[in-house]
Amino acid sequence: MTAAATHHYTTTGLDNRKIAIWAFIGSECMLFTSLISTYMIYKGRSVVGPFPHRPWTDPTTGQTLPPILDIPVTSASTFVLLMSSLFMVLALAAVQNKNLPKHTRGDRILGSSKLWLWATALAGATFLGFQAYEFTSFVHEGLTIKTNLFGSTFFTLTGFHGAHVTAGVLWLVTLLAIDYRRGLTPRDAMNVDLAALYWHFVDVIWIVIFTLIYLLQ
Amino acid sequence: MIGSDRLRRIASYALSAALVIAVVACSESHPNSTLVPRSDFGREIDFLWDRMLLIGTIVFVLTEGALLYVVLKYRRRENQPPPPQTHGSTKLEITWTLIPAVILVFIAVPTVRTIVTTQAAAAPGALNIDVIGHQWWWEFRYADHGITTANEIYIPAGRTVNFRLRSADVIHSFWAPQLGGKRDVVTNRTNYLWLTPDSATASMVWNGFCAEYCGTAHTYMRFRVFTVTPQEFDSWAAGQKMPARFGAVGPPAPTGGPIPPPLEAPGITTPTGPGAPSPAAQAAAPQTPAFATATGAMEPGYIFPRNRIPDYAVPSAPIPDELSFTAGLTGNAHRGRQIFSSKTCIGCHSIAGNPAAMGVLGPNLTHFGSRSTIAAGLYPNTPAYLALWIKNARAMKPGALMPALGLNEYDPTLKSTVTAATGGLTDQEIADIVAYLTTLK
Amino acid sequence: MATTAFPAPAHVPGYAGETGIWSWLTTVDHKRIGILYLYTALFFFMFGGLEAIVIRAQLGAPNQRLVSPEFYNQLFTMHGTTMIFLAIMPLSAAFFNFLIPLQIGARDVAFPRLNAFSYWVYLFGGIFITVPIFFAVAPDGGWFGYAPLTIKQYSQGVNIDFWVMGLQILGVSSLAAAFNFITTIINLRAPGMSLMRMPMFTWMAFIVQILLILAFPVITIALVFLLFDRFFGTNFYNTVGAGADPLLWQHLFWIFGHPEVYILILPAFGLVSEVLPAHSKKPLFGYPVMVYSGILIAVLGFGVWAHHMFAVGMGPIADTFFAMSTMLIAIPTGVKIFNWIATMAQGAIRLTTAMLFGISLVGLFTIGGISGIMHASPPADLQQTDTYFIVAHFHYVLFGGSIMGIFAGIYHYFPKVMGRMMDERLGLIHFWLTFIAMNLTFFPMHFAGMQGMPRRIYTFDAGQGWDVYNMMSTVGAMIFPIAMLIFIYNFFKSRKSGAIAGSNPWGAGTLEWTIPSPPPEYNFATIPTVTSRYPLWEGKEVDMESARANSVEGKTAADLGIVLPYNTIKPLIVAFGLVLMFCGLLTTQMLIYIGAAIMVGALYWWLLSPLEPEHH
Repeated sequence: MTAAATHHYTTTGLDNRKIAIWAFIGSECMLFTSLISTYMIYKGRSVVGPFPHRPWTDPTTGQTLPPILDIPVTSASTFVLLMSSLFMVLALAAVQNKNLPKHTRGDRILGSSKLWLWATALAGATFLGFQAYEFTSFVHEGLTIKTNLFGSTFFTLTGFHGAHVTAGVLWLVTLLAIDYRRGLTPRDAMNVDLAALYWHFVDVIWIVIFTLIYLLQ
Repeated sequence: MIGSDRLRRIASYALSAALVIAVVACSESHPNSTLVPRSDFGREIDFLWDRMLLIGTIVFVLTEGALLYVVLKYRRRENQPPPPQTHGSTKLEITWTLIPAVILVFIAVPTVRTIVTTQAAAAPGALNIDVIGHQWWWEFRYADHGITTANEIYIPAGRTVNFRLRSADVIHSFWAPQLGGKRDVVTNRTNYLWLTPDSATASMVWNGFCAEYCGTAHTYMRFRVFTVTPQEFDSWAAGQKMPARFGAVGPPAPTGGPIPPPLEAPGITTPTGPGAPSPAAQAAAPQTPAFATATGAMEPGYIFPRNRIPDYAVPSAPIPDELSFTAGLTGNAHRGRQIFSSKTCIGCHSIAGNPAAMGVLGPNLTHFGSRSTIAAGLYPNTPAYLALWIKNARAMKPGALMPALGLNEYDPTLKSTVTAATGGLTDQEIADIVAYLTTLK
Repeated sequence: MATTAFPAPAHVPGYAGETGIWSWLTTVDHKRIGILYLYTALFFFMFGGLEAIVIRAQLGAPNQRLVSPEFYNQLFTMHGTTMIFLAIMPLSAAFFNFLIPLQIGARDVAFPRLNAFSYWVYLFGGIFITVPIFFAVAPDGGWFGYAPLTIKQYSQGVNIDFWVMGLQILGVSSLAAAFNFITTIINLRAPGMSLMRMPMFTWMAFIVQILLILAFPVITIALVFLLFDRFFGTNFYNTVGAGADPLLWQHLFWIFGHPEVYILILPAFGLVSEVLPAHSKKPLFGYPVMVYSGILIAVLGFGVWAHHMFAVGMGPIADTFFAMSTMLIAIPTGVKIFNWIATMAQGAIRLTTAMLFGISLVGLFTIGGISGIMHASPPADLQQTDTYFIVAHFHYVLFGGSIMGIFAGIYHYFPKVMGRMMDERLGLIHFWLTFIAMNLTFFPMHFAGMQGMPRRIYTFDAGQGWDVYNMMSTVGAMIFPIAMLIFIYNFFKSRKSGAIAGSNPWGAGTLEWTIPSPPPEYNFATIPTVTSRYPLWEGKEVDMESARANSVEGKTAADLGIVLPYNTIKPLIVAFGLVLMFCGLLTTQMLIYIGAAIMVGALYWWLLSPLEPEHH
């Protein structure tokens, strides 16, 4: 995350890191494709419950377990994560336009990289909080990673996504630390841009996951 | 750098060496050859193979010829002017894109046809055999006949056999090379493989293998296929269907009274080293009398005569050095039955006719005495080998599920020695069990 | 043709102040990292060869018991794993590292420190996965580790754990390197070096990197599932207990595994595409078609994976589809073979050792290609798959193809790397011994396979018709070590006292031959301007000017005012922390935390410290 590479000659004129992050995102697509495909292959093939969308009666105890997914709660966390992408855009713009004069209160709010980075990071953390809540309540209701094929694929897929969000939040916090120490300037825009690309990618992946796991019955 | 003369000389050496090798190799017999198919399925594949071998050889000769020609012809000469700096030729490149494409059509079309014919449903009236792969042995069930056996199948020559393949644990692959291609034996699904052995294959034996790596004893997961006449098959099936009786099933053996000792565990220490299944050991194996009638149906209980099993189907694995057995013991089958029925044996093995033996983890032993090999084709089924097998199966076949049972034997999987407290068997007890099992024809 | 001869210097210049172990531990110079890759991978190549020799000794005669079946299973698993992940891929990486910047006219790769990180992860991962064999607890599931055999229920020891984690570690190395090279090739080409002027080796390297970043995530996930199954009791491959699909692993593995085959072979194709023109004094025949066929192979390579699974019972439709796509991929591959032959036709061929290895790739890969078509036909494959016929086939592809190509590359580029020529007489002995050993070992395996010998069997009964073939293979295998010893002797002798090479000993045409041998640490004194595919053969005046400027020796970076990255130990520490984390999974949780702390700490330290001195 140094600015040193920026003033070398490059063939395309783009920063090396920008090309690398796109290659990285391409690679990550295959990672999530593998995870999501496995989830889809195993969808509906669990031998025992609980199931995501329909109730299940345990033949040994006769107890009926309701469908385990709580779609309204996850919709809320999805909304928070989507909003974080908007905050990320604003944070990047704030860093890029750092040196522009700020006349109004609105300009100052829009131009505060700290504010928008905080907002993004907090939205990410909120999403993670929802996920932690969801995971614990599933475990309470009797679904662990060992229970059945649904449990294994669900926790692994969403867990992988959660780990990506966590890495993103750490990245944002690092940028914030730099911002507090010496202030982010347009010279750092590339660093924020990279984080933003990653963050948007993680968001987009969540939309796919949310659709396939929660909305598709 | 070498001159082209030297290259030619080397090439001629290589060619003559290849010829010598070819002669030596051809003098070996090839009992598992895929190139001499003995079923309709095998022939379908062989037709494709022949065509591809022909095309492949032509392509090989032309390509390597062109390569050698170019390399020999365009060697750099002294004071040679710079060669023409050609960058390519669209015409040529289109040509050698199209030629392979056209050649491939001649492979692709018969390929698709063969895929369709060989993967169609088996003809009605086929003999169904359920094959269940286990680590590391084969279970065979003839659903229509109510027979369960292991590691050896009898099939009537000239009749289509439909194998329904399932696995109890990991992935295996069912393959009898000379009868046709292999098919994987996969958990949680049933695969199908059907073939019709040629009528001319009656009274023949074929080796079969597990072809998919399946763990420690993958090597020792073999089976035998006996192709017999329809009459012999019916007789065999009828015999296998009966519960085990004391004494042989076929020619009535004396029941009650002491069993004439089938086993003198003599020579149990003799079959060591390479070429272990000595003629003596073979001779010690009980022979099945021929009892076919001149025409039509046979009495139940046909077993492929041991003395007609060709050498390639007789296992030749040596016995581990550390194993030995007391010489000169005589087994008592009655006692053997009691021991078998009261010890751990019944936890894994079934013997129809012995209500105590209901285990399903190991091979069904109802007609154990009728089989020509033990341990999934690893050793011949003779009293001598069997005694050692019972004594310490895991020393004979590393990884085997069956634990060492002989007193004071070291079990390499459990890493412990068998004691009396853990139910260790004395050599005499083992000899008794051997006597019992050998009677199960 | 305008071959410009530059006079050979009287001595081999070295890097000033760049000696000692510390300089190797901290280097970020792509050339030195390439050399590290070369030595390490050659070591693993010989180690994997040793494993193969024990395997062949065990199979030399029927019913032998030189090793136990358990150990035998470890040997063939580790032979495959070692040769693929620790020998051929890193040998290719050695060339990627050394050559890509030189071929495109760059001073280094895009991310020099990431490059060092890739190497250290590879080294530690290689040690991690190799050490268990000394304790007879090496991985034993075969190199493609089919589940459910590899789940805890059927493989209880730590063997498979080492395999799963070792491959994960090596995957990190390959991925990091791939992002680096992709960026380098896209972004650091010298002015005028358009994509269609790139040397063929760089082109093939580029395609390989793209295959890597798309294929490795798939096996990463397959391995994560296996790791979770083994450590946390998930059900991904739990077929008997939880109804998992037994073919999931196979599909995921081969979606990675087939592109992996091209990851192994395309670098060798690239090397041969440099060697044949240089030693025939003719440009590569049909350059654009060679590029497009490479791309086509890569694209089709993602659509053929299930041809490894014709015996699993996928049904006629899938069988037909994958048969057709597999046959299709033979066409671009065939085009490459014919174009190589046409490159040599009408040329002025010098049969140097490099050239002989290159020519033998063309000849031997053809054999592997023909047998490949034979099992592209699913019914025929039912008699071939999982037999020694397959073993013969892929050794013709991977030894006859990859290894022969890599040796061609080593002999061709040794003068550039070391500044001295390799001994040709010893080289020829090495070549002929290798060539004979290769054919004597692997050709009879075709026959053994067609005579019904399954692969991965520990031993076999006498009288199966396999004795002679196996004996021949064993005799052939025993020749390899002799050839390798000659090679190693030649390598070190020539490095010390070979003839001085000069910048362009072969009279080749590409950019890497315009600079001194060994190249100065900054590679190019001035970034060259490129107007053609072979600047030294077909270049205009501007190419010649660049070449003259860059052939000057003895200048240091400081003399020329070139800023070079700092040496740094940080990538090594990050790599160490990463591997420590995996070690922790096998031993104590404490180690996981320590490893993670080291990794994250060193990573921040690395990222927050500057790459190079600030410009003025």
